[in-house]
Amino acid sequence: MKMFSVAHKTVFVVDHCPYMSESSRQQVECDVLTKSRAQGVIPLAPVSKSLWTCAVECSMEYCRILYDIYPKDKLVNYVVSDSEFHILNSWRRENQSTHELMAALAAVGPPNPREDPECCSILHGLVAAVELLCKITELQHEKRTALMDTAERVANRGRIICLTNAKSDTHVRMLEDCIQETILEQNKLAACSDRLMAIQQCELVLVHIYPQGEDTLVSDRLKKEISPLLTSEVHSVRAGRHLASKLNILVQQHFDLASTTITNIPMKEEQHANTSANYDVELLHHRDAHLEFFKSGDLHMAGTSTRENGLKETITLKWCTPRTNSIELHYCTGAYRISPTDVNSRPSSCLTNFLLNGRSVLLEQPRKSGSKVISHMLSSHGGEIFLHVLNSNRSTLEDPPSISEGCGGRVTDYRITDFGEFMRENRLTPVSESSHNPAGKLPVERAKAQLERHTRYWPMIISQTTIFNMQAVVPLANLIVKETLTEEDVLTCQKTIYNLVDMERKNDPLPISTVGSRGKGPKRDEQYRIMWNELETLVKTHAGATDRHQRVLECIVACRSKPPEEEERKKRGRKREEREDRSEKNVSKETEDKSWAESERSVRLKGLLEKENPESEVIKDSPDSPEPLNKKPRLIAEEVQPAERAKGPVTLLSMWTNRITAANSRKHQEFFGRATSVNSKFELYQHLKEENGMDVHENGKASR
Amino acid sequence: MPTVVLMDVSLSMTRPVSLDGSEEFQRKNLAVHGLNMLFEHMASNYRLEFTALMAFSSLWELLVPFNRDYNALQDALSNLEDYDKTCIESALHGVSNVVQQEWGSACPCQVVLVTDGSLGIGKGSLRHSLQNLKQRGDDKKFPLPFPFPTKMYIMCIANAEELQMTDAMENLEELLRLSGGDGQIFTVDGPLCMKTVQAMFGSLIDYAYSPFHAVLHCGNLSSDVQVFPRPEPVVMDEEVEPIPRTVNTDLEIVGFIEIADISSPPVISRHLVLPIAVNKDVDEVGTGTTDELEEEPSASQMAGKSPNFCVLLHGSLKVEGMVALVQLGPEWYGMLYSQADSKKKSNLMMSLFEPGSEPLPWLGKISHLGPISEAAENPYGEDDSKSPFPVQPQVKRSYAQNVTVWIKASGLQTDVQKILRNARKLPDKTQTFYKELNRLRKAALAFGFWELLKGVAELLERECTLLPDSAHPDAAFQLSHAAHQLKLASSGDSQYAAFEHNIQPMHTDFSS
Repeated sequence: MKMFSVAHKTVFVVDHCPYMSESSRQQVECDVLTKSRAQGVIPLAPVSKSLWTCAVECSMEYCRILYDIYPKDKLVNYVVSDSEFHILNSWRRENQSTHELMAALAAVGPPNPREDPECCSILHGLVAAVELLCKITELQHEKRTALMDTAERVANRGRIICLTNAKSDTHVRMLEDCIQETILEQNKLAACSDRLMAIQQCELVLVHIYPQGEDTLVSDRLKKEISPLLTSEVHSVRAGRHLASKLNILVQQHFDLASTTITNIPMKEEQHANTSANYDVELLHHRDAHLEFFKSGDLHMAGTSTRENGLKETITLKWCTPRTNSIELHYCTGAYRISPTDVNSRPSSCLTNFLLNGRSVLLEQPRKSGSKVISHMLSSHGGEIFLHVLNSNRSTLEDPPSISEGCGGRVTDYRITDFGEFMRENRLTPVSESSHNPAGKLPVERAKAQLERHTRYWPMIISQTTIFNMQAVVPLANLIVKETLTEEDVLTCQKTIYNLVDMERKNDPLPISTVGSRGKGPKRDEQYRIMWNELETLVKTHAGATDRHQRVLECIVACRSKPPEEEERKKRGRKREEREDRSEKNVSKETEDKSWAESERSVRLKGLLEKENPESEVIKDSPDSPEPLNKKPRLIAEEVQPAERAKGPVTLLSMWTNRITAANSRKHQEFFGRATSVNSKFELYQHLKEENGMDVHENGKASR
Repeated sequence: MPTVVLMDVSLSMTRPVSLDGSEEFQRKNLAVHGLNMLFEHMASNYRLEFTALMAFSSLWELLVPFNRDYNALQDALSNLEDYDKTCIESALHGVSNVVQQEWGSACPCQVVLVTDGSLGIGKGSLRHSLQNLKQRGDDKKFPLPFPFPTKMYIMCIANAEELQMTDAMENLEELLRLSGGDGQIFTVDGPLCMKTVQAMFGSLIDYAYSPFHAVLHCGNLSSDVQVFPRPEPVVMDEEVEPIPRTVNTDLEIVGFIEIADISSPPVISRHLVLPIAVNKDVDEVGTGTTDELEEEPSASQMAGKSPNFCVLLHGSLKVEGMVALVQLGPEWYGMLYSQADSKKKSNLMMSLFEPGSEPLPWLGKISHLGPISEAAENPYGEDDSKSPFPVQPQVKRSYAQNVTVWIKASGLQTDVQKILRNARKLPDKTQTFYKELNRLRKAALAFGFWELLKGVAELLERECTLLPDSAHPDAAFQLSHAAHQLKLASSGDSQYAAFEHNIQPMHTDFSS
């Protein structure tokens, strides 16, 4: 359905002339006596509705279904006509509810039978209806404003449903002519107004209502074109039940609705609470929910039944009692609002209450072959019930390559849990339009901005990061991504930093991963350098945000700077390690075939890592705890080290020698020069060079 | 979107193509050459597409049912035999059956019709079929439009001039129009030869089978991805917005939502999101999705070992049971989630919502979803026990409020009986009695059903006379008070018949 089809605007014009106060002659027994009280009591005479009451309640039912299924932008304007017209509401969205209309109708009251019939006419209302159709709706206005130069794409169409008691076919023709003329007149007026739109298409649905037992004076007529602007159809219906089912059919036709009957709903009996009987409930909804049935042509196979009036079809779907309330993401190709045809019957309200309480029900399509196909699901969202259409066909996406086979699929240490935490922090919440400052950024843009801030530094795998594996860094890491920091936040960040300084002073181990980097893990002071670098990288990405962010960065820079000698010593140590690193890399390139030592080492290293992680886990929770346990595994790593360093195939002798040397070296403190030597050579006075800025390159490299 | 290749194997396809010297080709050879090229392209760039091969003349035959085995398709092409005359109508019936049997009637499908533009003679020819379109009974309907959404590509092994000499072009255009108009007629540009046919199939590939590459962003994290099948442009309202909307090549995650909150939303299409390695050395985007696992183990292994954001995202979405809301364009959104195909295999999937600002009523306007950090207190609660979803509509639906409908007599009877039942239990049920009474009163006033008000007033008066001696004295007072009030309302006097007015219980005090 187009946004601005005739269904966008509906005007009800209901006759309020004296003859509408006539009885419909359909009697309702409202005094149902129970047997025990029956003796001696004269039951109340049955009441009967007037033509007016019939017209009003059926039109309200039409509106009820319409508003249930299209709560927005399918609008109704209600007009009552007697000696003049009374407009009961407007196109405005807030006026669109049955409650609003009922209140207005109560104010109008039933027609006055004593009023002069000569002064009264439905024409007043019909003329008013045409004028109303020219009035622009909020949606039309919004779209015209949004489309700017192509505003002419916004069409103005509408439908007039006239409930009246016409005198004859000639009378009907006179009404049509009058509407046609009014449209032409109003279109001229609309051409020179901003708030009015010319009518491009108008559909007149004239329903002639007459009392039961009388013969109709007006004949039914199918839709016919009166002019390019106006089509008209006439329905001649007896008041009461017939009128109700006529309007029910009309609302389905006018708004592309279809009917589904849910069958086999188990329900506790009112009288016998321990037995349950099966009930059926009929629902209306957009007909696209049956699209699959229509297209595949097995409408009749799908349990269609034609109902008594022979005009309406309903599709039967079978209730499947929900087993669990498991949360599942169904592949759903459509979801359509529903409205029960018989809203306050007991089975209907049992079904709707069940759904409104949050349960979902799968529906099965009965097939002749006996195979079961779940084709639909009923589910409520926020007090609205939807019929979901589930895909029951073969998927064209079946058997796709698993994500583990694709890019990044072999990596095993993704920070899945951390990203899960990240997702929870970046969940969304509705922001009411009233609390949103129209001048500011839209909430969704702010959500994106938050994602941007939170991901400025976000290593994807565990072995790429140190700080995010440390409990001690968490307070700072959580705060620094904020758009603004409070004074208290800055303090917390600083505390975190001091805490890290403290850890470093105590030489606490860090959860640095050695995966990927060949050779043993870096030395403790190197580890801290890596950690500080990483922390600085993280904070730097946010330092520009506010002065307080900047202060956190300054705190890090200040805290990590060391007394000169100490720093110097460290740098040398680093340099040595780096060279080792490089030589190791050469080795690994040269020896394609892994020596047994190496492969053993990798196995051990793995074990080491696995051990090391839980350990550091313990420690990171309490930075004050002593450091001992870590010593042993580290020895293993060092033990194997020499085998690596040797070039070419390793001889038994060299392995032995290395082993002994390693063992001996642990018994005394190594000379500084020897310890930092490269190929047993040590460059003297190297600090002279470094002072000339040689270390820049090293710093850069060591950060990874 | 599955593809059916419908290959004309009528005798006219065996017409030789006049070439200067060298070998002699039939049109069929050229068609097979073009199709081989298409299949090779699909095998390396569009591997997940299900393709079927059908051959037709006056009869049709399904040579290869839907699958992804492009070798089998190529094998079948090399074993084509020649048959009699072209009969497109029956072949289209065949397509319709084959597709619906496999995919149902909702799955969009592409049909590649390869023919030479001689569209048969006499009964069963396309000309004949189109001429008597309107004089057919329901049982002999022309197969177009298919019940499923169709893209029809007509590949003519003939050039446009040749087709325009007869009415072939007109008939093919009519055929395309009947199929729904979505598709294209391709003709050979210039003289018929391998090269020109290649060029024609090349344009088909560009038009319909070029992979959709995009970059998935989540703040500063990103990954190059292929979206399969490629998302098709969508027209929401041909009148207000006739220009089709297309999916951006930058897919931006805006935030995350629990699966329970998004709650099986309706989607217009589903797509696999496959991370791809972009080859920086070559200007072109690397073809290596997962397709080249066998062919280039080293390259794909490298790609497998470098961390990819898609894998991280997929893993966390799966573990947490969440979806990522992703922006596809202006006022157009979708969701990313983990979809398990079997116990072992799972994948990152993207579903597209209907374009618009509020595709899911229970989320409200997507543009008005903001970060939880901005809320005064965490809307999910400190222990994740709450949720800000679903968003409640402003007005309750009829079934969620106690509406009054008296269209069926039973509805009216039930309401009257409810009042009487409570009337007999006065004064215990005073509140319920007046609640039901006022509900009835309101509806009767709105429907102008004053007769009912009088009737119920009489019923209440009768109840009053039937009260047993043991009844509480208040019961009689309340009953006659209520009856009196109803009578006043039925007079239409605006003082008593106001819709919003409620009959209040009579104030009685029997304690003194």
